[in-house]
Amino acid sequence: MKKVAPGFVIALIGGLALPQNAVAMHIAEGLLPFNWAAFWFAVALPFFAWGIYRLNQRSSEDLSFKPLVGLMAAVVFIISCMPIPVPFAGTCSHPCGTGISGILVGPAISVVITAAALLIQALFLAHGGLSTLGADVVSMGVMGSFTGFLTFRALRSVKVNMAVAAFMAGLFADWATYFMTSVELAAGIRGEGAFLPLFWKVLIAFIPTQLPLGVLEGAMTAGMVVLLYKKRPDLLIKMRVIKAREVAVIGAVLIALTIFFSGVAPAEASKWTGVDEVVIEKIAKEQGREPREPLINMEQGDLPLFIFLVAGVVGGFAAGYYWRVLIAEKGPPLCRGGAERSPEASAKIRGS
Amino acid sequence: MHLLEYYASDHWLSRIDARVKLLVTLIVLVMVLSYRGVGFQLLVAALSLTLIMSMKIPWRIFLLRFSEPLLIVLVVLLLKIFFTGHDPLFSFNILGFHLTAYREGLAEGIAIGSRIMAAISLMAVLVYATPFPELMAALSWLKVPRGFIEILLYAYRYIFVLFEEAMVIYQAQKNRLGYANFRNRLSSFGILTGSLILKAFEQSQTLSTAMVQRGYDGNMPLFQRRPFRSSEIFLSCLVVTVMGILWGI
Repeated sequence: MKKVAPGFVIALIGGLALPQNAVAMHIAEGLLPFNWAAFWFAVALPFFAWGIYRLNQRSSEDLSFKPLVGLMAAVVFIISCMPIPVPFAGTCSHPCGTGISGILVGPAISVVITAAALLIQALFLAHGGLSTLGADVVSMGVMGSFTGFLTFRALRSVKVNMAVAAFMAGLFADWATYFMTSVELAAGIRGEGAFLPLFWKVLIAFIPTQLPLGVLEGAMTAGMVVLLYKKRPDLLIKMRVIKAREVAVIGAVLIALTIFFSGVAPAEASKWTGVDEVVIEKIAKEQGREPREPLINMEQGDLPLFIFLVAGVVGGFAAGYYWRVLIAEKGPPLCRGGAERSPEASAKIRGS
Repeated sequence: MHLLEYYASDHWLSRIDARVKLLVTLIVLVMVLSYRGVGFQLLVAALSLTLIMSMKIPWRIFLLRFSEPLLIVLVVLLLKIFFTGHDPLFSFNILGFHLTAYREGLAEGIAIGSRIMAAISLMAVLVYATPFPELMAALSWLKVPRGFIEILLYAYRYIFVLFEEAMVIYQAQKNRLGYANFRNRLSSFGILTGSLILKAFEQSQTLSTAMVQRGYDGNMPLFQRRPFRSSEIFLSCLVVTVMGILWGI
């Protein structure tokens, strides 16, 4: 009896998973047997409880926090339903969106956000399921959010650029999600077979889409964080992503640099010779054309000031002479409304 | 988005209390997941699909909901047939690969496939016969944390608003040569998602201001519950007992 080539099995899973990559992100309803479904619920529960605790804590400090988290869940729902093109695989796939939510609201609350988005998707779109909600929350919510958050914080703590840190957070959050999904799938469907061979095959089957998708999700996460930083840094301060001091320091540095360059650059520039002196004058001298005094030397006396004064006088005279044409006669005639008003209306206005 | 809104309001199942429907669905779901075999699962799938047909669900909505699970069933089935087992069923050559299908793999694949179909159909019955706010009220009755239900309600409400915003931004980007090539597509998508987050922030501020003005103190008043009807209790007990007997056989 010949064994089937493992390469074919990988190609089979990959090939069938490619057209609809939501297959990969959410484990379908009923795919996991009862014991595994219960196990993943038990794993997800402490993280979920911690998220609810943090949510209640933050919303008692700020009444707008719960609506914000609800809207973030709606955004994660929409992001994870949107197709983006994946190069090499020649198909579209869906980002997770947990990297950005982990960065913005913290990993614990991001688990709650993911659970909410996943529950709505499971109920209404049949992406994932009620019985596999625990497994999906562990892969997408716990692994995605915590990996994204920890990567971002670790890189920021060693002063890595914000865009780079966000890129790495999105990248690792995506890859961690699919790593965990592979573990869950292999454990759930292996039956009596060995775990590791099936795990490697499922993981390898994800590679054609998920490896480039991770890079794309990283780029998007970086883009989103940078956009927020540019447009609404106050929100990033409110979400405790950056500190007010950080924005103040960056602002102060920018102002200092602006002042420095605006002050120093003209002074420095005056010491530099221009292209006329360096090139044209040199070539002209080589050809025997020595420089001579200009016919009208603008640098002597107050000639420029005099010219500006004359121009001002002429301009002022012209503007004053034609002011009716320029301003008054452009609009409707000033007295027409009053003339056309009915006698009753005029009497009413006078009376009021 | 149509999938999010569909609800068979005139079906008799829609008039039953959401708490009863949710509880019965969860109990039968546990039975489906824990059953070792195919018969019970196929029965649940058949009953659920019959109920869905009686709700007169449009074919488009039905196919949209079931297309992805059916694809997963196919993947799992093929994976199991060619990868699991020892007793060969048949074999053939394709593209230089020698393939052997195994009897045990086929059995396992059918078992998993029928489990998925049963669970998916069961959930579809619940969702088509219950509006979202009632489902949330039922979850609240099952002691699901209140904060989580509030988040679900906000999210469900604002999915439509933000989706509409996303479509407006998407059309505006398309009209300005967004998504023209891969690089441009990626940057357009980044701007779109970033703008959505900004919109979400702004909407949440407006929403919370409006709610605070109407007396919001951090907890949304949830649902009024009516007492169970005796007919509902009787029906649910009957369904669970019959299913339990069938599960045990």
